[in-house]
Amino acid sequence: MTAAPDAAPDNRVSESLLRTLGGRAYVDPAVFDAECERIFEQMWFCAVHVSDLPSPGSFRTVQVGRESILLTRSRRGELRGFYNVCRHRGAQLCTEDAGQARRSFQCPYHAWTYDFDGKLIAAPNLTSMPDVGREEYGLRTVHVKEWLGYVWVSLADEPESFEHTVEQEILDRLGAMSKLEAYDVSELAIGKRISYDVAANWKLIIENFMECYHCATIHPELTEVLPEFADGLAAQFFVDHGAEFGDEIQGFTVDGSVGLDTLPGIGQDRDRKYYAITIKPQVFVNLVPDHVIVHRMFPLAADRTRVEVDWLYLPSVVESGADLTASVELFHRVNEQDFEACERCQPAMASRSYAAGGVLVPSEHHIALFHDWVTSRLA
Amino acid sequence: MLHICSVEDVPQGEGLRITQVSPPIAVFRTDDDAFFAVDDTCTHQDASLADGWLEDCWVECPLHASKFDLRTGQVDEPPAKRPVRTHEVVVTDGEVWVTLSTEAPNLPPGVEVGA
Repeated sequence: MTAAPDAAPDNRVSESLLRTLGGRAYVDPAVFDAECERIFEQMWFCAVHVSDLPSPGSFRTVQVGRESILLTRSRRGELRGFYNVCRHRGAQLCTEDAGQARRSFQCPYHAWTYDFDGKLIAAPNLTSMPDVGREEYGLRTVHVKEWLGYVWVSLADEPESFEHTVEQEILDRLGAMSKLEAYDVSELAIGKRISYDVAANWKLIIENFMECYHCATIHPELTEVLPEFADGLAAQFFVDHGAEFGDEIQGFTVDGSVGLDTLPGIGQDRDRKYYAITIKPQVFVNLVPDHVIVHRMFPLAADRTRVEVDWLYLPSVVESGADLTASVELFHRVNEQDFEACERCQPAMASRSYAAGGVLVPSEHHIALFHDWVTSRLA
Repeated sequence: MLHICSVEDVPQGEGLRITQVSPPIAVFRTDDDAFFAVDDTCTHQDASLADGWLEDCWVECPLHASKFDLRTGQVDEPPAKRPVRTHEVVVTDGEVWVTLSTEAPNLPPGVEVGA
């Protein structure tokens, strides 16, 4: 096992302890604004599942940083992403979270009308304004990419390399892309989706996901399934280390009962293990032998984050109507336990007593790398 | 009769706005390869029916979804209330010819002939 490099020494408080970010980083709207500008509106952002957009004109609107983004499919079925803003006077074009447009996207204010490629196709008196270019005044586009069965967007003028950012996170964690490909995530179907409205800063949620020092205290069911989590070591600290199921455990379920059909690409070396990956800035991927759990965070404010979580199974499992309750319940409880912990921290971030931050114990030291990363993005 | 365009200028299932006459007309070619010509401007508000959606012998205005019957010019439901004029079409040797209606056009407020 290869350990990740230790954090920069200027965070060091003592031999055991490293300093966290100060409390202001979690509550100050100006910091959140800067994070939107430098992180969420620049990096690749995992927006929706491809099955959320089944056909031309089906749409989802999502919050990416400070922007509302409209995702749809063209008449030819190609993914399209637009700023959800009418080019005329700036009214929000689609006010629903999801739906199916019949012919076009029409602004409810002055009826400027756009096709599914974003082109301006009609507007009152448009024919008497031949100087108004229909492409020029089409919806402003964002970059879109399909990967792992999800639609990723980048609001940057020039998107960062997907390979050197998103895919690198997989390499850093698993050591090889083939380790992820074994799960064939893009071919899986959503068996369950739960959306959590969390009253906490997005960084608290990432930090929580990165460490397991809390596991034995707040995750009794998870620790039962993955006994090594009781030692407090981080599941994401060592390259390609998966947490082994307990001896009596038959599957990744709330009571350790047998799970669903194992994914066909999973060999014996991985068929009793849990792997967790953080893809900065807003995605968690959890790999177990019979399903994959994907968390997408939508930071809405310094103290509020929506987290949409999908439980993905083989399509044959979902179609069969198999009972997923025990399977979903395990990580649903983990989510509720984690988000409750994050919500407990959030108000305290504004406390005078936390202005200089707290400390990270050795099994949390890799969180300092995340802090260094955030700090460098904002510098 | 006026020579308006060639058959291949109008893809199947679409319309073409013709501005060489006033008020402009729209030539439609249905999926069954039938040709129709009507006034291009919706009678409710200034919008080009050629930019609308053609289904069978009906075109739906792209702005407020009133539908006009290309055979009669009649409108199905508000907000448009008055019909569009229809013009006689003859297709010969791949060329589209139109005899313009002599009725007065039902143009929306603010749109005038020759404007």
